Amino acid sequence: MNDGSAAVERIRGAFALAITDIGSVHGVPMLRLLKQDVPAVARYIHTDPHVRGSLSLLWAVDHRPREARYELCYLFTLADRKDWLLLSVDLTGGEREFASITPVVHAAKWYEREIRDLFGLIPVGHPDMRRLVRHEHWPKGSHPLKKEFDWDQVLGRVQGEYAFRKIHGDGVFEIPVGPIHAGIIEPGHFRFSVAGEPILQLEVRHFWKHRGVEKLFEQQRLTEAVPLAERVSGDTSVGHGLAYCQAVETLLGVTVPPRARYLRSLFLELERLHNHIGDVGAICNDTAYVVAHAHCGRLKEQLMQLNDRLTGSRFLRGVNTVGGVSMDLSGVQLSQVDAELQAIEREFAGIEKILFANASLTERLENTGVLSEHIAWDHAVMGVVGRASGIDRDLRRDRPFAAYHECPPKMAVYRYGDVRARMRVRLDEVHDSIRLIRALHRQLPMGLLITQSVEVPTPGQWAISAVEGWRGEIIYVVMAGAEGRIHRCKVRDPSFVHWPAIQWAALGNIVPDFPLINKSFNLSYAGNDL
Amino acid sequence: MFRIMKKSLATGVVTGQYPAAKSPTEPVSREAIEKAKPFRRSLTIREVDTGSCNACEMEMNALANPVYDVERFGVHIAASPRHTDALVVTGPVTVNMERALKDVYKQTPDPRLVIALGDCAINCGVFKGSYAVTGPVERHIPVDVRIPGCPPRPAEILAVLDRLRGAHTETDE
Repeated sequence: MNDGSAAVERIRGAFALAITDIGSVHGVPMLRLLKQDVPAVARYIHTDPHVRGSLSLLWAVDHRPREARYELCYLFTLADRKDWLLLSVDLTGGEREFASITPVVHAAKWYEREIRDLFGLIPVGHPDMRRLVRHEHWPKGSHPLKKEFDWDQVLGRVQGEYAFRKIHGDGVFEIPVGPIHAGIIEPGHFRFSVAGEPILQLEVRHFWKHRGVEKLFEQQRLTEAVPLAERVSGDTSVGHGLAYCQAVETLLGVTVPPRARYLRSLFLELERLHNHIGDVGAICNDTAYVVAHAHCGRLKEQLMQLNDRLTGSRFLRGVNTVGGVSMDLSGVQLSQVDAELQAIEREFAGIEKILFANASLTERLENTGVLSEHIAWDHAVMGVVGRASGIDRDLRRDRPFAAYHECPPKMAVYRYGDVRARMRVRLDEVHDSIRLIRALHRQLPMGLLITQSVEVPTPGQWAISAVEGWRGEIIYVVMAGAEGRIHRCKVRDPSFVHWPAIQWAALGNIVPDFPLINKSFNLSYAGNDL
Repeated sequence: MFRIMKKSLATGVVTGQYPAAKSPTEPVSREAIEKAKPFRRSLTIREVDTGSCNACEMEMNALANPVYDVERFGVHIAASPRHTDALVVTGPVTVNMERALKDVYKQTPDPRLVIALGDCAINCGVFKGSYAVTGPVERHIPVDVRIPGCPPRPAEILAVLDRLRGAHTETDE
């Protein structure tokens, strides 16, 4: 944590008067600031060459009924050693306005709009005050995460229409797509402004699937909400389940037994594997290269059937539980995994050779949907998309969880930021996941699967946890309420960060390439909309 | 080219390599089979997600992979509700998707079937009661077939589609 505290010292040197208190939350340094100074401090953290923090999460908490205040928290990941740094600011005495940091930290854009919708707090100075989560037919004043808002109330319906940004000019027209798409995919709306073929502007209008997940968490007990976390984004059941469990374990002071840590990593890699292989096939399919799609589809199916045999769930649901894992893998099962993965790796290597030998495929993928490193950094992009744009971040290496201390991943970083780079990151990670699963199996310790805890955290205590899922960084903030319940649970799927970035990656490309670009990001709608 | 052919030959036939489904817990009603009769050998379906977690979508997509290859039974997946015989709806119906679902239903030509796929579509699952969820699919449009599961396995979906086509009833010729 040296680097984190060095950053704290620098900020203290520059903004002595702005800081009211310096504390720490489970080892993460936290600065309490005066309200008006947040934009200046955020700008400093974001731009100072010695700090270079990228905004990883921005969330709000309604502390009522315990205390009559709202709190805003800003989580930065510092560039050098990927340490975390927290800023916090209070809104007391019925204050509803806070200073927007979006003009200086672009990545805050959606977070602040989300806070405005869900808490009714107003980011003063935000360049885009349209609604984000609450569509226009939601009645005025309905802010679901305020404590006085009943979780099960029936919303009324009013008239209203979203104002898309217009581009004017000769021959400019709009193409609306969605919310219901032609393929079997989740609902979302894309509005293209085009002149001829090239995309001049893409606006993403999402949150059709908003199910009130964060409010539903608040109705649950800390130890019982894992099934809900696993259904935030079904394709990332292990990632979300694990991130939630880790946050609660930190709150309860539980140390997870070594065998459970290893199995968690193993399940997380199995999830990465079937999703990455499926994505490689789907990218090829969107260039009409169906041979590769068929092969990848069958390998993915093989892996999901393996998951089913191992755990009784094709999506590995129910493996994580607070304190450890709920099921063990026998030596026989693990040998079966090894044998099956060996066959899959051999087959996949063969498919790779076919892919790389195909010039027309390469032609479609290269220079398509380029997300430059600069834009990726501005949007705090990470995960597969980030690593394809030169952002060297991976929580498995940077903030090791589960068994990644003992079994670190090999990094796959590319700089071009095009569809091909995103596919190459996935190709490399497929091989690395298989290597990791083998290593985890080899080093798998014997012992207990779960640590029981009798402790009940004091209301108001909270913890952050982050997991490198197959898409990228999944972050959970869990705050304890009275009697072992959840007071607040902030869920952040990487998709929430990457959707705004895809709007930039699409610019200048032709409309028929958008499905391909979208596939190469493969973002979750459910995890974004919550 | 040689590499691709070699790969295909080495792979052989994978279709049908999946464990058999347990018999569906919710039987397909006689009325639904009757309603599906005009389509019998070629059921065209359109999938509509009204708020699922994406797991049901992944299993629907899996139906199209070479292992299940649903097309061999005459089941096609259409891009538009206007080309559709059966709507497959997944997820609880969210406040924001309610209108879109009703629109899609209106755009689907009669005779039409509605299949509620997955626990959420049938009873809202873990999202039940939320302010942002308006209720299960049948609150908004009539549902003919229910396929429970969270999510149902592709083999289970196939089994229900099989019954719907009358493949397992005495009315089958």
